[in-house]
Amino acid sequence: MNYIELASEFAPELILTIGALAIMMIGLFLANSQKKVLGYLATIFLAVASLVIVYRGIYDIQMEGILADSLTIDPMSQFFKLTFLVVSLIVVIASIKEYDGHSNQDEYYTLILLGTIGMMVVASAIDIVTMFIGFELASLSTYALAGFNKKDPNSLEAAVKYFIIGALSSALLLFGLSYIYGMSGGLTNISELAVFFNNNPAVLQSPMGIIALMLIVAGFGFKMALVPFHMWAPDTYQGAPTVISALLAAGSKKMAFVAAFRILLIAMIAIKIDIAMVFMILAIITMTLGNVVALSQRSLKRMLAYSSVAQAGYISMVFVVMSPEALTGGILYVMSHAFMKTGAFIAVAALGYMLLKENSNAKDVDHLDNFAGLGKRSPFLAFSIMIFLFALAGIPFTAGFVSKFILFLSVLEGGFYLLVIFAILNSALSLYYYARVVKYMYVLPPSSDEKLKVPGTYAVAILLAIIGVLAIGIVPEPFINWAASAANVLGL
Amino acid sequence: MLPVSYYLIVAAIVFCIGVYGVMTLRSGIMIMMCIELMLNAANINLIAFASHFSQVNGHVFVLFSIALAAAEAAIGFAILMSIFRSKNNVNIDNINILRW
Repeated sequence: MNYIELASEFAPELILTIGALAIMMIGLFLANSQKKVLGYLATIFLAVASLVIVYRGIYDIQMEGILADSLTIDPMSQFFKLTFLVVSLIVVIASIKEYDGHSNQDEYYTLILLGTIGMMVVASAIDIVTMFIGFELASLSTYALAGFNKKDPNSLEAAVKYFIIGALSSALLLFGLSYIYGMSGGLTNISELAVFFNNNPAVLQSPMGIIALMLIVAGFGFKMALVPFHMWAPDTYQGAPTVISALLAAGSKKMAFVAAFRILLIAMIAIKIDIAMVFMILAIITMTLGNVVALSQRSLKRMLAYSSVAQAGYISMVFVVMSPEALTGGILYVMSHAFMKTGAFIAVAALGYMLLKENSNAKDVDHLDNFAGLGKRSPFLAFSIMIFLFALAGIPFTAGFVSKFILFLSVLEGGFYLLVIFAILNSALSLYYYARVVKYMYVLPPSSDEKLKVPGTYAVAILLAIIGVLAIGIVPEPFINWAASAANVLGL
Repeated sequence: MLPVSYYLIVAAIVFCIGVYGVMTLRSGIMIMMCIELMLNAANINLIAFASHFSQVNGHVFVLFSIALAAAEAAIGFAILMSIFRSKNNVNIDNINILRW
């Protein structure tokens, strides 16, 4: 394969790389008031990269082993790449207003683009070295982004917690991978590892293999924010700038899922019973604790963070069932959750922006009391928040319902009755705290009668997310087929 | 030549020291150093395996991981520096605004 072909296969990544460098350079020559144009530039690069992926084909594309068997292009990688790109696109569009006039906008957009490239590399990687590097590229960019409001103690605290836990988890993951490398006699390619472990399952059941598995599960568990590795997530999502919380919850968390799908479901399928048992426990405590703690939250960002923990518990049921149907449901859930969560966080960010504009000394703009009477003050924002929250709860005609339905049905067909009972009870429980926000918005009286006007870019970002949520909910077939073709790649 | 298991034992000990330090120490800088210890323990493993199998994969992995550790330290110190500017220390016990 020559370089021209290579460049055309990885055009989306190359476009983003060029975009990231161009934005950094152009930023040097602009005054702070002009730097807004960089946001539009980043939007264009992300949109072009997404269009290239769609144009290149998403169902039937299949390339094996590019660049010394380190990267692949298959329906699964394309599915996740498109998800990450759309999430970043929505986040960037929302940020244009949020950081208008800020002096470090060039670094901001560069970091978002670089983080997106890292996530896309992870989606494509079929070699543990490449996967680890992509992981780190995405993590390093998001550490810096979490602490972007460096005058704000909350943002700094979020960044420190995220950084320490993130670095710890990559160290655990790297140590686990080093054992995998050694046990397999020097293999790093995931499909070669799968062949090796299928022929020698005893290797993975030796003490060294068990330690490696534990470290890898812990490393991924931190990134996916599964209980008991979740403690950083609520703090980071609450403290980080709200638009960045959207990127973290919808992007970098989902990156851990695609990496775990590839490593745990392909390379280590030989010990599927052990993995299933570990994840059975993790999934149950994750969804229960996430939902129970979310009940008592007064900060909407923190509530969304705990609901995100709970949703990670639902998705990790895939590792218990390990059937193609479950994987289809899990992959679809990743995409729907990305839309719902990004939309919800962006809507909260829009409210925060408007409240801060009204009164620049306002504290805790994401507190539940600020949502009182929002239905009268800003009908559009209230309605969109309602759609996102109902989608997260799994009300029919939204993305949340379709993906939950497929996932839970596959768990039921797999015969894991206890798990599905827990999942459904948790779903019902979660409706309580989502509906409470809706009650605040539509039933309680507003604190002031002044209308709030949603800035244009926020409205566009929210609309994009709503289109995603409703499209998956109302015409699910193409998305289900797409997720199924992505799931087929793993050949469970 | 020493058998590969000796290197693995050293790496495991270094890794455990790192984990212990992350869990017990209170200074942000010390925690970062302990994380570096954990990463380097993994590097020792990889190098030991690579030279045991006379392979080059592992060496490449280590070069990448060293570069990544350096980048991680840069970001980490930048974040700790901002913390130091606002609080005059990097004791992580003082970083406690966000809870429950």
